[in-house]
Amino acid sequence: MVTKTEESELKNLEIQVDNGGGGAWEYLSLVRKLKVRRSDKVLKHGLSILNDSKLRSKLGADEWTLYEQVAVAAMDCQCLDVAQDCTKALRKRFSESKRVGRLKAMLLEAKGSWEKAEKAYSSLLEDNPLDQIIHKRRVAMAKAQGNISGAIEWLNKYLEIFMADHDAWRELAEIYSSLQMYKQAAFCYEEVILAQPTVPLYHLAYADVLYTLGGLENVQTAKKYYASTIDLTGGKNTRALFGICLCTSAIAQLAKGKNKEDKEGSQLQSLAAKALERDYKQRAPDKLPQLTTALKSLTLSS
Amino acid sequence: MGSNDLKYEVSQNAYIKLVLHSLKHPTSAVNGVLIGRISSSNDTVEITDAVPLFHSQIPLLPQLEISLILIEEYFSTKGLNIVGYFHANERSDDFELGGVAKNIGDHICRYFPQAAILLLDNKKLEALKKSKSSSAIMQLYVRDASKNWKLVQSDANNRFSLKEPSANVILLDYISSEKWNDIVDFDDHLDDISKDWLNPGLFN
Repeated sequence: MVTKTEESELKNLEIQVDNGGGGAWEYLSLVRKLKVRRSDKVLKHGLSILNDSKLRSKLGADEWTLYEQVAVAAMDCQCLDVAQDCTKALRKRFSESKRVGRLKAMLLEAKGSWEKAEKAYSSLLEDNPLDQIIHKRRVAMAKAQGNISGAIEWLNKYLEIFMADHDAWRELAEIYSSLQMYKQAAFCYEEVILAQPTVPLYHLAYADVLYTLGGLENVQTAKKYYASTIDLTGGKNTRALFGICLCTSAIAQLAKGKNKEDKEGSQLQSLAAKALERDYKQRAPDKLPQLTTALKSLTLSS
Repeated sequence: MGSNDLKYEVSQNAYIKLVLHSLKHPTSAVNGVLIGRISSSNDTVEITDAVPLFHSQIPLLPQLEISLILIEEYFSTKGLNIVGYFHANERSDDFELGGVAKNIGDHICRYFPQAAILLLDNKKLEALKKSKSSSAIMQLYVRDASKNWKLVQSDANNRFSLKEPSANVILLDYISSEKWNDIVDFDDHLDDISKDWLNPGLFN
């Protein structure tokens, strides 16, 4: 997960390298550090370093890290011969390495040789049962073959061991959502919110799932989490502001007759609506008319 | 008369926008809405434009509801409606119309009963460079009398066509120039409202 500042830093470096302004190694290192998926760029710029013997020798020991990074990127782009060459180079240098063994198994996976890859991963796991990357490859393979229930099973097993892996919880939540198993998705987000209560993204995702689940209680809770997202993001999150408006409208429809929350609810909604209108006026003025009408219709129904 | 007799015709701009959107996000599912109207002869749904919606959290409601409200609001002033839904699956070998897509299609049918779903055909997309086919690289689904989504066979009396026969040629051109980088979807808009989901000037 990447912050906005990190994302723009990455984007700037990317533009710089793309336009021949140098900084390829810095870009590749940043991609590694942020663990983002930019396989086509990594492949292009990584290869330009690896294919130039002067640039390669300047890297020193980092050369091997680059080989690994480019191998994985090549697999992602289905350039399997490049991946093969990089893996070969690594194998020559580190013949007994488990890490290289893992790359070889990934190559099998990239080729679609599922059974061979599964065998390779299993045997690697025997020697190193706590290799998170291999566990995750299993989940990825299940997903790639369309075996979603298998992916869920593996991912749940993974999380029993590595319950602090927030990205894995999020992946599981997304898989559950895609199957419209929203209750289970909500549970996953509850786990990450417990572990990292100040990350607004989780509050927002949780609110979205609760709203989708529906029902008065869920939508009321969703509204609370949209509010906490607004709190954590200084009111700058457009989705949360819209969320408040949607929730207020839905609550009013679901709770016809119960008068408890009326004043509070409409105050929060009008604040959110005002914030949205202010923002649109400033940054997207041509979209303001539709926004105003939409907000009016949401308010009218509440 | 149900959707059994209606034809569906996609304009080049709508078609290309949707495919470019899919190409911009190759590792996730994407979706979009189809904009248009029923022809004056009452026998064709003319899909004149499309709005790319999301490339993340597609099964969740809030962003979908907001986008549909705002999009419908904009196009109704131009005499157009949301007339269908576009979906591209996450996996390239997945040719099934999933539950989420069907639900969204059902929702759109409440406001436009003859709405159709277009599903990206990845096999045809990949083969496009070699096949030189001029037919759409999408599958058309419509609802039958029991409101189930059914695939309309591509050879069946031309129910689904591209308005401009050279659409695939133009599409290939845009693909080679990586035009998908310029596409803005509703996800992008919600992250930064200065980004315009109408994609004005995309084809200039």
